[in-house]
Amino acid sequence: MDLIGFVQTVASGVLTGGVYAMVGIGLSLIFGVMRIVNFAHGEFMAVGMYIAFALFRSFHLDPYLSLVVVAPAGFLLGAFVERVLLAPIQNAAEHSLILMTVGVGLILSNSLLLIFGAHPETIYTSYSTRTVAIGPVTLSVPLLVSFALTVIVVAGLFLVLTRTDLGRAIRAAAQNRDAAELQGVDTRFVQTAVFGIGIVLSMAAGVLLLPALYVFPTVGGIFTLKAFVVTVLGGMGSIVGAIWGGLLLGIVESVGAGLGATGYRDAFGLIAFLLVLLVRPQGLFGSSHV
Amino acid sequence: MSEAATPVLRSQRVQRRARAALGICAAIAVLAFYPFILPRALNFGVSLVLFAALATAWDLIGGWAGQLSLGHAAFVGLGAYTFTLLQRAQVPMWLALLAAVAACVLLAAVWGFITFRLRGAYFALASIAVAEVLRIVSNNWSSLTGGPEGVSLQDLPPLFGLDLYDRRVEFYLGLALLFVALMSALYVAGSRAGFYLEAIREDQDSAMALGVNPLRVKLVAFCASAALTSLGGCLYGIYLSFFEPQGVYALDLSIQLVLMSIVGGMGTITGPALGALVLLAFQEGFRNLLQQRSLLIYGIVIVLVVRYAPDGLSGRVLRLYRRLWPWPSRSPSAS
Repeated sequence: MDLIGFVQTVASGVLTGGVYAMVGIGLSLIFGVMRIVNFAHGEFMAVGMYIAFALFRSFHLDPYLSLVVVAPAGFLLGAFVERVLLAPIQNAAEHSLILMTVGVGLILSNSLLLIFGAHPETIYTSYSTRTVAIGPVTLSVPLLVSFALTVIVVAGLFLVLTRTDLGRAIRAAAQNRDAAELQGVDTRFVQTAVFGIGIVLSMAAGVLLLPALYVFPTVGGIFTLKAFVVTVLGGMGSIVGAIWGGLLLGIVESVGAGLGATGYRDAFGLIAFLLVLLVRPQGLFGSSHV
Repeated sequence: MSEAATPVLRSQRVQRRARAALGICAAIAVLAFYPFILPRALNFGVSLVLFAALATAWDLIGGWAGQLSLGHAAFVGLGAYTFTLLQRAQVPMWLALLAAVAACVLLAAVWGFITFRLRGAYFALASIAVAEVLRIVSNNWSSLTGGPEGVSLQDLPPLFGLDLYDRRVEFYLGLALLFVALMSALYVAGSRAGFYLEAIREDQDSAMALGVNPLRVKLVAFCASAALTSLGGCLYGIYLSFFEPQGVYALDLSIQLVLMSIVGGMGTITGPALGALVLLAFQEGFRNLLQQRSLLIYGIVIVLVVRYAPDGLSGRVLRLYRRLWPWPSRSPSAS
C-alpha cells in the first residue's frame, strides 16, 4: 500500500468510525446512567435502518430526511422498552438484565425477519456512488454526509448534557444515583430519557449507514458487537472515550481490510477488544471504574 | 416455617444428595429404554439427551457461578472441528477426543483468565466475541476447515464394533454424557466448590472476605463446563456428520442452551435438562408453526421468564405445587 492509498484508507476509516462512535456513545450513555449493558443495541440500529428503508421504498423519502421520523420513533421505542421491560427488574441480578436485553434483541431482529424477509436490501440514491476528490484522495459522498451529520448530532448531545437541566440531571445520575435522587433529581424519569436518547443515537446511526451498507435483519448483531468494542476501547461509561474508540475501530477495520484480509474485517475489532480487556480493561482513553 | 429456616444437618444433606443421585440414576435408566419404546423418534431422542447434557454443562458456569456465557457455541464448534479435522487426518479416535477437550479447556482457561478478573458484564461481552472470532476464522481459513461450505465426517471407524452412525449408538453415548453432566451438577450442588460458586454469585466481596478466591473457583467451573461441552460438540459433529461454521458457532445455539437453563431453572441440578425437554418438545410439536419464528418465540420466552419467573419455570411450578400441597413437616427419621 503506497502513501496515498494509506491516507485514503485511514480517511474512509475515520468517516465510518464517526458513525461507530455514535452507536458507541448511546451504549456508553445507557451504561453510565443505568449500569445496564444493552445487548440489543445493534438490533435497535437495524430497526432504524429498516424504517428509513421502508420510507425510502414507499415514499421515496431521502434517508437523511427520514431522521426526522426515525429520531422521535426511536425515543418512544426506547422509553417504552425501558418503562415496560427494564424498570420492573432494575434491582434484579445483573444476568437478568443482560438476558432481558438479549430477549429484546431477538424479538426485534426476528420481527424484522418476518416483516422484510432475510433477503439483503439496499437503497440506491443519486449520490450513493458519488465521490469527491480532495487532492489525490477520493472520499465517498454518503460517508462524508453521514460523518458531518454525526458531528452535528454529537455536538448537540454535548450541548444538551452540559447546558440543560436534563443534561445536568443525567450527569448527576451517572455519578451517583442515590445522591442525585436526594438532590431532587427524578432518576426514574432520567433513566427512561437516557435509554430513549441512547436508542435514538443507535437508530440514527443506522439511518446514516443505510446508503453505504446492505441491510438485512441480522445486521444488528454485528453492530452490537461493534458497539461493545467501541465502548470497551474507550472505557465503559465514558462518552469522550466512545468517540475515540469509534474512530480507532473504523481505522483498524479499514486498514486491516486494505491489507488484504477482507474476510477477517470483523475479527480485527473483536481481537483488539479482547486484547484491551487483557492489558487495559479500563479502556484506552477513559478512566471508568472496573 | 419453611425448610430453609431449620438448620440442615450434615446427615440430612448426605441423605438428600443420595436421594437425588438415586433419582438421576432412575431417570437415566428409564431413558435407556427410549430407543425400544420410540424407535421412530430417535433423532429427537439424540438431540434431547445431547442438548440436556449441553444445557447442564452450561449451567455449571452460567447458573451455579452466575457468569452468563452467551458463547458456549464456541466450545461446541471448537470441539466438533478439532475432532473432525483430526479424525480426517487419521488420528486415533481417543486422541482426537482428548485433543478436542484439551483445546476447549485451554480456550476456557485463557478466556476466563482475561475476563474473570474484571467485574461486571465483561465476561458476557467477551463470550459473544470469542464465538464470533472462531466463526470468522473457520469461515475464512478454508484450507484447514473447508470454509463456509463446511466439513463432513464421513468414514468413522467403528467404536468397540459399534457403528457410530447408528442413531441408537449415538443416543447411548449422549445418555452417558448426560449422566456425567448431571453427576457433575450433583457434585457441585453439595460440595465445597459448589458453595464457593454460590457465594461468589451472591456476593463476591463477602466471598473474598471469607477466603474464597473467585478467579480460581470460576476458572475451574468454567473449564469443567468447557470440557463437557466439547465432548457434546464432538458428539454433535458425529450426529450431524456434516456441518459448517454458521451452524456450530451460531449465537442461536448459545442462546438455546441459555434458554433451556433459564426455563428449567438456573443453578439447579435437573433444571437445565428439564428445560431442554420442554423446549425441544415444544419445538417438535410446533415445528410447522415455528419455522423461521423460533428465535422470535425464544426472545418472547426469555423476556417473559426474566420478567415473571426469574428463578425459572421449575421454580415457579414448585412453589405453586408447594402452596397447593404444603410440605409435610418431615422429621429425618420419617423418610
